[in-house]
Amino acid sequence: MSEALLSLNGVSVRRGSSLVLNDVSLEVTSGQLVLLRDKNGAGKSTIIETAAGLLPLEKGEVLHNGDVLIDASGRSKRPKSAFGLTLQSDGCVGSLRVEEHLLNALDLAGGRIDIEPWLERYNLAHRKHDLIAHLSGGQRRKLAMLAGMLPGFVGHAPRILLLDEPAAGLDSASRILLVEDLHKLRCRGNTVLLASHQPDFTTCATHLLTGNAMETNEDFEESKEGKDDIKSTSHKTNPAFRTGFLLNQRTLSSVASNGIAGFLTLGILLALVDSSAVDSSLMQASGLFLSAAFAAGLVGDNMISMLYEHRTLDWWKAHRQGIPNSYIHGLFLGSGLTAMTQFGFDVAISWPLIAIGGLLTVATMMMVRWMDLATSRLARPRAAFTRILTPILILPFALLVQWITDSGLF
Amino acid sequence: MTKRLSEVILMLGFIGIGATLGLAFLKAPSVSINAFESPDAQRIFYWHVPAAWSAFIAFGFLFVGSALWFFKRSDFGWKMHVAGAQAGLATGLMTVWSGMVWGSAEWGVPWDWTDVRLNTFGLLTFLALFLVLGRQAQIDGAETRDTFSTFGLFGFVLVPVTYVATRLWQIRHPGPVIGGGESGSLNGEMALILLLGAISFTVFILGHVLMSMRITSLEQRLERIQEAKDEA
Repeated sequence: MSEALLSLNGVSVRRGSSLVLNDVSLEVTSGQLVLLRDKNGAGKSTIIETAAGLLPLEKGEVLHNGDVLIDASGRSKRPKSAFGLTLQSDGCVGSLRVEEHLLNALDLAGGRIDIEPWLERYNLAHRKHDLIAHLSGGQRRKLAMLAGMLPGFVGHAPRILLLDEPAAGLDSASRILLVEDLHKLRCRGNTVLLASHQPDFTTCATHLLTGNAMETNEDFEESKEGKDDIKSTSHKTNPAFRTGFLLNQRTLSSVASNGIAGFLTLGILLALVDSSAVDSSLMQASGLFLSAAFAAGLVGDNMISMLYEHRTLDWWKAHRQGIPNSYIHGLFLGSGLTAMTQFGFDVAISWPLIAIGGLLTVATMMMVRWMDLATSRLARPRAAFTRILTPILILPFALLVQWITDSGLF
Repeated sequence: MTKRLSEVILMLGFIGIGATLGLAFLKAPSVSINAFESPDAQRIFYWHVPAAWSAFIAFGFLFVGSALWFFKRSDFGWKMHVAGAQAGLATGLMTVWSGMVWGSAEWGVPWDWTDVRLNTFGLLTFLALFLVLGRQAQIDGAETRDTFSTFGLFGFVLVPVTYVATRLWQIRHPGPVIGGGESGSLNGEMALILLLGAISFTVFILGHVLMSMRITSLEQRLERIQEAKDEA
């Protein structure tokens, strides 16, 4: 028997107060397609998300290609080979274009294939350049399904594909195509874990998982088509950075959230502080000029709020290759605000202070972003009041101002 | 009687705290006019220091409770975490508030953003506020307990930092009263009133923790009954 690509060893997972998975063990080898078809609430999505390393384990471990992905002691490692993932909630943010989301899924897998035939096959080609927000529910589901499936066609090494209700909301013609594609993926040696109630998949599943018991599917029908000839090219890039940059360019979310806080602070300072009384030799002067940049950073990274849409944050977190951020925009915003503050108070422009302003905004944003991410697992992450903890940043800010003054930098 | 134990302990703590306050205003000796900018305000010390002491005990409960939940999945640990956060918030606010009143009189400013002791202690209080408000807004479950326990464990790092802050980076706040060497030592009536305050606040904290743990147990029991009714 070949080595298991995906292993769940004695896994127990708690969601809320109930133990959803209790001592579940599962081994799926190359070329197997396991269909999870239990009733609602039995834990199908929990198995998929556990296999993706998204849920903390009470007991046991999850292995990808024989290496630990996550275990009960909290160890979590990036898998050597990226996997495909379709979450039940799509996992795609509305401000990205259809093409961009698919390219992200491919880039996370480390390669590219021609996506045009796939978009045509699922009747999405005319939507290629549209924002995901403009798609219907069914079209968005097709996109989420493609994003989870296409990594299986990248490279020659078999991959793990985790598909949670990929056919939910799809028309019957699309479901027939999906069954054909699942056959192709399996023939390439990929391991597929698929959760679905649809009866369409009983013919393409090699195994069935009901409760804790995995059994061979007697209704399985071998595909007549055989192997496909899809060519892929290697493509190394960081899609998280690119996506963060794109989303910020498109939505101007950094300007709308961090920028407004910074500009308001600047306006208040200009209204309340007499510019003729500002003496740059005083310690307060550098603090005054950095206040707007600091206020901008305290708002945090709006990208996290944006990524809560359709659980996109979880989709990125599962891949463990970074989460889109707004750092570049924060850097320019902080520098710009510091320069404007100095200009507003009519003092000589200090370039080191401008650079410090930019870095201060980014560092503050990073800290607040970390707090937001640390509470992202909660059932109601937006009701976690993380901003209560932001005063922690005032002391480092005060010490920075003191250091600037002591060092004679300004 | 066992059910009423926490209330009795809490009441004893309140009486002791009241007595400390009375003795601080009526019996404690006046301090030297030369040593303090505002000698009368110094009497806040008999409230401020025991409140800070009991806050550290409460944060200790928070840490132990967080660790017990995080590493052992102990329900008792979670109850201790909840109680420690609530007690830490109550005593932390008492310390910060009394310190600000004293600071206004003695230093001319209620707060100094560059003083490490003030800020780390303030942050511990904010952490307790975050844990209390955050828990109330969430559904009780493993995710909630894991997340807040992690913050409880991280937050405890601030306790030793807060304690040594006045030795390493003394800016405004004076050095430690207990274990602070010759400069921090007390004697006579002052020490006795302070000791009464420390004991009273400790009793108060113990009573509060016991009562809070009982309330959390009752909340959990109610939730189990409701779940059983849902399933029926």
